[in-house]
Amino acid sequence: MITDRTYLWLAQAFYAVSCLITVRRLRTGGGGPGSQRTNYIVMAIGFVLHTTFLYLRGRHLGRCPLTNLFETQAFAAWAAVLFFLLIGPSYRVSFLGAFTAPLVLLICLAALISPIDVPHTQTLARSAWVEFHAAIAIVAYGAFALAFVTSAMYLLQERQLKTRRLTSSFLLLPSIEQLDVIHFRLLIMGFAMLTVGMVGGMISYRIVGHWPTPKIVWAAAVWVLYGTVVLARGMWSVRGRKVAVMSMASFAFMLIGFWGVNLLRP
Amino acid sequence: MNLFVVGLNHRSAPVEVRERVAFAKSGLDEATRSLLGAASLHEAAILSTCNRVEIYALAGSAADAAGAVRRFLHGHHKLSDSVDAYLYEHRDDDCIQHLLEVACGLDSMVLGETEILGQVKEAYHTAQQAGATGVVLNRLFQKAFAAAKHIRSTTAITRGSTSVGAVAVDLAEKIFGKLGKCTVMVIGTGDMSEATARALQSRGAGAILVCSRSQERAEALAGQLRGRAISYDQWPDEFPAVDIVISSTAAPHPIVTTEKLVPLMKTRRQRALFLIDIAVPRDIERACGEVENVYLYDIDDLQGIARSNRAAREREIAACQALITQHRQRFADWLGNNRTAIEERYRARPANTGFADPAHTHAL
Repeated sequence: MITDRTYLWLAQAFYAVSCLITVRRLRTGGGGPGSQRTNYIVMAIGFVLHTTFLYLRGRHLGRCPLTNLFETQAFAAWAAVLFFLLIGPSYRVSFLGAFTAPLVLLICLAALISPIDVPHTQTLARSAWVEFHAAIAIVAYGAFALAFVTSAMYLLQERQLKTRRLTSSFLLLPSIEQLDVIHFRLLIMGFAMLTVGMVGGMISYRIVGHWPTPKIVWAAAVWVLYGTVVLARGMWSVRGRKVAVMSMASFAFMLIGFWGVNLLRP
Repeated sequence: MNLFVVGLNHRSAPVEVRERVAFAKSGLDEATRSLLGAASLHEAAILSTCNRVEIYALAGSAADAAGAVRRFLHGHHKLSDSVDAYLYEHRDDDCIQHLLEVACGLDSMVLGETEILGQVKEAYHTAQQAGATGVVLNRLFQKAFAAAKHIRSTTAITRGSTSVGAVAVDLAEKIFGKLGKCTVMVIGTGDMSEATARALQSRGAGAILVCSRSQERAEALAGQLRGRAISYDQWPDEFPAVDIVISSTAAPHPIVTTEKLVPLMKTRRQRALFLIDIAVPRDIERACGEVENVYLYDIDDLQGIARSNRAAREREIAACQALITQHRQRFADWLGNNRTAIEERYRARPANTGFADPAHTHAL
């Protein structure tokens, strides 16, 4: 039976194909700009199917599809792909897709397989602010996910340059300065959106009149963590490896907290 | 009717011989036309580079024509002694094979280099302009270009730099991306540091600073590189603005130490720094490579990478040969199928006089 979930599964098939293209590129040690374009197109098709899922689910619910953990995860992964599609061609970041596709696939498959797609039982407060703050915060997570990806690429490349052991995959990675700059831009975008989301959250909780404490503590901690990374890179001239490690650690904290807060929610 | 090539290259002949039989670019079309007449060839093309001089030709019989081509080579260059011992000759399938290998860079001194393809294209165009090519050589050269493109894109024969300068450029691009905004500082003058600086410059590196114990030499090199000479004591002052350092002094002790480097990195706000140490004994303390955002490569590191890239290219030869065999076979089949028609055509017009009519060259 075709449900909205079918489209999400189909999207995963395309992300999986993108992963296979990467494996093949690593094996052959390259495969020019052609295979990079193919990869981009495959990811774009996946994105369209992914969007179809969100649209159908949203139409069914009559609101932004963020009512349970399953939808939230799918939405965050969608935002990560969105950032990849925006950044990939404009900065000519080769191989960004190679790192993005597996992460997105992992998040979506985890959501599809686990029994978390249960309709929300409580009556949800209908407020534009509630939906807005949640949606923009999730898009911020997408930016952070891609910041995580660029950090991983940075560390891989930095290690090879430092140890002077250059593998053939080395040739496919973009320059570390380029990664450093893109990473910083993603951090700023993510942090700005997260800030807007937090402010929106405060307004919406005042409207709803209910303060979910663990979630607020967690969100504040994520905000402080990423704020520190942005300050470190922007103001305190901390660069390179340290920033990459901070960004990846923040993302890991965010991810763990994300599942913790949402699964433990009564 | 035979296809054949007579020539010499960097393996068969020393440079003293190669330079004597090389053809000047300016008189190449003239030489091609006189070659056609002198050796009664149907078609011909001359490929002359610093590493090879080769004459590709189609004639009624290679047995007679090859000797005439050799005589033409001696006569044209007014050689007093014979260079026959240095010349090789390949016929038919071997000739096709040879041109394909040359176009793909398999026969080059630097395995897999790509400059040769451009030179082959130029040689072909000159011959075509001179009216010396016809149905067979036109097709042969076109197929050779296609084969070279195919092999370049499907194998790793052109991948990885094989010289110290080029490896340094690759690494610089891995660190900084585009080099346009990079400032290069050359400490100590020498052939190697000049070559490396030039390699960086050719890929768009921005400002170049040169310093040396001898101000005179610094200024001379700075002039050649269109850079700026600075005094030897001043290099730490310029350091904050520098992204790439090429060091090759004759100093017996390291001139860049971690003690000096760590405070300097603060002044440059921890921006990445690429140190290239091509001096022996080394100019830069090895421990500098451990400093965060600093990437240090010495001459052994660079040569090691160049060597492993060469080895990687050599491992691709078999794959290239397999593809070349396919392309050669395809051309040989075409030639076999059309042999009678081509022979018929050339029988009506025994020797190409150098002004082949368009219908004649493009038919089939």
